[in-house]
This record gives sequence, C-alpha cells and structure tokens, in this order.
Amino acid sequence: MGRKTYARHVLLILVIGLSLVALGVWYRLGRGEGMDHTWAVIQQARVLRVGMDASYPPSEELDETTGELQGYDVELAREIGRRLDLEVQFVNIGFDGLYDALIAKKVDAVISALPYDPFRTQDVFYTISYFNAGLVLVARESETEIDSVDDLSGRTLGVEWGSDSDAQGRRMVKRLDGLNLHPYPTPLDTLWGLKNGEVEAVLVDAVSAHHFIKHEGAVKIVGEPVTDESYVIAVGPTSTELLSALNAALLALRDDGTLIRLRDEWF
Amino acid sequence: MRLAAAVLLLWLVGVPPKAIVVLGPQQYVETINPKMGVHTRLTDEVEEWKIKRTLEMVREMGAPWIVEYFPWAYYEPQKGHFNWEHADMVVDHARRQGLTVIARLGFVPEWARPKGSTVAYLHRASFDDFGEFVYAFVSHFRGRIKHVIIWNEPNLSLEWGYQPASPEYYTELLHFAYVQAKQADPDVQILAGALAPTLAPEGSEWGMDDLVFLQRMYDAGAQDYFDMLAIHAYGWKFPPDDPAAVDEVNFARAELLRQVMLRNGDADKKCIITEGGWNDHPRWTKAVRPGQRIEYTIRAYEKVLEEWDWCEGAVFWAFRYPRPARTYQDYYTFVAVDFTPKPIYWEVQEYARRES
Repeated sequence: MGRKTYARHVLLILVIGLSLVALGVWYRLGRGEGMDHTWAVIQQARVLRVGMDASYPPSEELDETTGELQGYDVELAREIGRRLDLEVQFVNIGFDGLYDALIAKKVDAVISALPYDPFRTQDVFYTISYFNAGLVLVARESETEIDSVDDLSGRTLGVEWGSDSDAQGRRMVKRLDGLNLHPYPTPLDTLWGLKNGEVEAVLVDAVSAHHFIKHEGAVKIVGEPVTDESYVIAVGPTSTELLSALNAALLALRDDGTLIRLRDEWF
Repeated sequence: MRLAAAVLLLWLVGVPPKAIVVLGPQQYVETINPKMGVHTRLTDEVEEWKIKRTLEMVREMGAPWIVEYFPWAYYEPQKGHFNWEHADMVVDHARRQGLTVIARLGFVPEWARPKGSTVAYLHRASFDDFGEFVYAFVSHFRGRIKHVIIWNEPNLSLEWGYQPASPEYYTELLHFAYVQAKQADPDVQILAGALAPTLAPEGSEWGMDDLVFLQRMYDAGAQDYFDMLAIHAYGWKFPPDDPAAVDEVNFARAELLRQVMLRNGDADKKCIITEGGWNDHPRWTKAVRPGQRIEYTIRAYEKVLEEWDWCEGAVFWAFRYPRPARTYQDYYTFVAVDFTPKPIYWEVQEYARRES
C-alpha cells in the first residue's frame, strides 16, 4: 500500500467516524428523543410550575384570609426554586387530577404529599423521598422499656379505629402475647390517650406524631418507622434533567438540615 | 425410543400444572341481617381462585347479596355469538357460597355503536340488539339469576357516551329490555333506575337530578317496565340517620326516591340499594374518618333491616378491586387487592355474627 492510498484510507475512516458521531448527535438532539424539553423550557422561562392539591394541611392549604398557599410542600417547593434559581408557580389541582396534569404537561412537577406509587413508575419519574409519613410508634417521653413494636407484649396500644394503624395493630395482636388494642376516633385522640396515660404506646402517622410532639409534647417517637409512606416529587416521563436537578436539590436540603427545619416548622 | 421418552419427559416436566379450583360443597351465609350485601368487581378478575376467594370472603363477612357487572361487550363480542364461560364461573361460585346475584347489564360492544364512541354509547337503533342480549342473558341464567339491573346511572350523560341524559330515552330502553327479559323468564325481576344521586341543576349537560329523572320516567310510562327500583345511596360525609332533603345527597335520599314511587302508585314494588356506602380516603373531600365509615356502614345495614321494609337489600360499594384504582376509589373497599381484610371487614363481620 502506497503512502497516498494509506492516507486516503485514514481519511475515509475519519470521515465515516465523524459522520457516525454527527448522526448520533443529530439523532439525540435533532430528533429530540431522550432530550428533556421540560428542562429546556424551564431554563428558558426561569419558572418551575408545581402542581399541588392545596387541601391537605399541614402539607399544603390555602390560607382563607390571605388567599396564599402555605404548608410544608409550599415551602419545600420555594426552597427548591431558590436552589435552582427558578421562580415557582403553583397550580392548585384536585388530588386525583395531579398525575394527569403532569402527563398533559400542565405542570412540570407535582409536590403534594404524594406517596411513592410503584404502579406509576412507567408513567412518571419520582425523586428520592423527602419525608416518610408512614406509621410510627409513639410512647410517653418518660418511657424507657419500649424501643420498638417487639416490646409491646402485654401492653395496650392505641390505634385509630378502622385505619391502617388499626390494621397493623390487629396483625401485631396475632404475634405478640398479651397485646391489647385501644381504638380511638382520630390520630389526635389517640395521641391524647397516650399523653393522658390511657395506653402505653400508640401507632399513628408520622405527620400527626410530629405535630403533636411540637404542640403538646411529653411524647416521643421510638424505633424505626413501622410502615413506609414516602413522600416524593413526581415529574414527567421524559424529564430526566429536571429529575436530576430536583434530586440534587433535595440531597442538598437534606444535608444542610433544611428538611428537618421544614418538618419542625410545619409538622 | 429413548430419545422420544426423554423428550416426552422434558415436555411433561415443563408444562405447568393446571390450577384446579372446585366449586366445593354448598355453603350458606350466616348473618343476623339478611339484607346485607356488597358490590363485587369480578368482571376483570381472570383467575378462578381469586373469584372463589372473593366470594368466600363475602359469605364469611355475612353478606348474602352481591351485585356484579356483566358487560354486554364481553359476552357478545360478535353479534349473536355468546360466550358465557367467565360469567358462568362467577355465578356458579357465588351460588355455591350461598349468595344471591344481582346482575347489572351495560357496556356496549363495538359492533353495536359508532366508531370512536365510548362503551356507554347506545343509539336507539341498537336498542333491539341490547334487548336481544338481555333475552340471551336471562335465558342462559334462568334459575340462577333472578335480579337484573338495566343500565347504570342513566341520569348521567357520561353513562350514555355523553349523549344527554333523557328519562324518556331510558324508559324506551327499559321497555325493550323488560319485554325481552320476561319472554326469557317470566319470574325474573327487572330493576330500573340505579340513578346517580345528584343535585344537577335543570339543563345541566352532565346529568339530571335523580328525583326529577325518576318522576319523568313515570311520566314516560316506565311503571309497567320494571319490578323493583335499584337505588344508589351514598352517604358522603353524612351519617345514615341524617334526614333526607331534596337539596342534599345523603344515605336517606333513598327515602325521597321511595316517595316518588308512592306518589305514582308503586307502593307494592320494592327497592334494593345496589350501590352505596362511605369512603375513608385521607384527603378526598367527600370522605369520612375510617372509624366513622365503620360506624355509618353498620348503622346503615341496621337501618335498612329495621326501618326500611320497602328495601329488600343494601349492597355497598365495593368489596374488593382486582387491581388498585390508585384514586380515592380504593378507600371504598372492604378487602385489599391482596385479600387482606381491612378493619371494616372484621367489624361488619362481627356485627353480622352478633346474637340477634
């Protein structure tokens, strides 16, 4: 092979290689597949549209006197907006319409005490969880012998009648000797029953527990959460870059203690 | 030869064993309240063991009545070609558990409606087709199903594929269905109505007030074309003893429908609540707390038994879904998708087993 022929072959290989690279770039960008248009639009407008059902205090509600949205999720969204240098626009939607609004691109993200739903993972992306609202075991502050549900044998446990805590309690009764259930009409009544000494521990959702601890005190959460109800942010099925940005923001909020501060402030 | 034997062996090992579900011995419902019922959702339940388990659990809860949906499109996918295999399975298991089945008919097959229309769209030109399906259904289940509901919530436009909800139109359909059903089995009881409790204002494009709709059905001559009235009695946030009022949707609204019947000389006809109950979703605006739901549900069963002699049964929505709805609808159920009973199941069961 002469020098000229060799050079031609090298040139040909380079041309083919560059063409393939260009084709790949065109395929990804020109065709638009795999590209996060949502993120591009957000970046251009500097606005993040957040869907929420503002009827679920203390996570989100409409202040009737001021007409302003308030609650944990409202502050969380604003904090994320600050971190991403975006203005947050809230869109108030009924809870059952939140996913449809996301899929129809009426909103960019849903932040609305939204529990992770494994059946939805083909339709949307979820961020990491920012709060676990599942059931927790609560005992009086002076309690030293109850560290987990396994310590409930021979004791009386308060539950909200008919709720998930009741269902969990009925299951525990089958495996823990001498465990008795005391049903109450609401989580708040259940926690008051504990504080007043009617029961030795109660099973309530984490939001109710934190709220009671903050406002009434004298009780504490013990052990690990009994069930998981992980609140997450949902974004559209192609919003990969938005998802990454939200996850990064949530991690930063977790690491610098902001999530704890929001919890203490609102729950 | 050895090779053939080896292949056969491998094939036999590879073939999964067929699940064998038997009907089992005849069972009976033990309950202090023979009017209790639940609406099952077995239409889309494929596996026979799940159908059987659902119906066993209904019996064990103490409810002798069920309402089940039998979609026309499933059983007559082509005009004149019927396939009752799944319906037979559901009905036979229900009867073996000692349950009385009320069949709700609807869901228009593609061949009986215009392309692009919804499954609720039924044009007058297809009333004959529906009547023939009713005839086939009632003939097939003669002796096994005695109660048939014609259509669902006909006072809502969505239940007509977004045609206007018309009492006269529905009465015409009822006429077609009634005549065909009685020809198939003179003893069958045709249930009309199953109206959605609604306060829709006059002229609403979405629906018509159920009390107005029922009166206009009578005006259109419906009286001769039904044997019982099916009632939907949802309580929303109100207890079952909340008094009836024309401007309120609550459980006792059933009494107002009854009054319409009485005003039209239909005192001898009975009613059955074929849907109803309370929801305990944590954030749906019409939901109650889980404990209230238990209390209201049991009280409603009691009320129908003790105070409403004109009402033969109270069938509440819904026993179990074959898969999660992922909406507030999941909070109407008595049993989770995986058959785990909710506390309301145990409480209703305890009520049904009380000493009378």
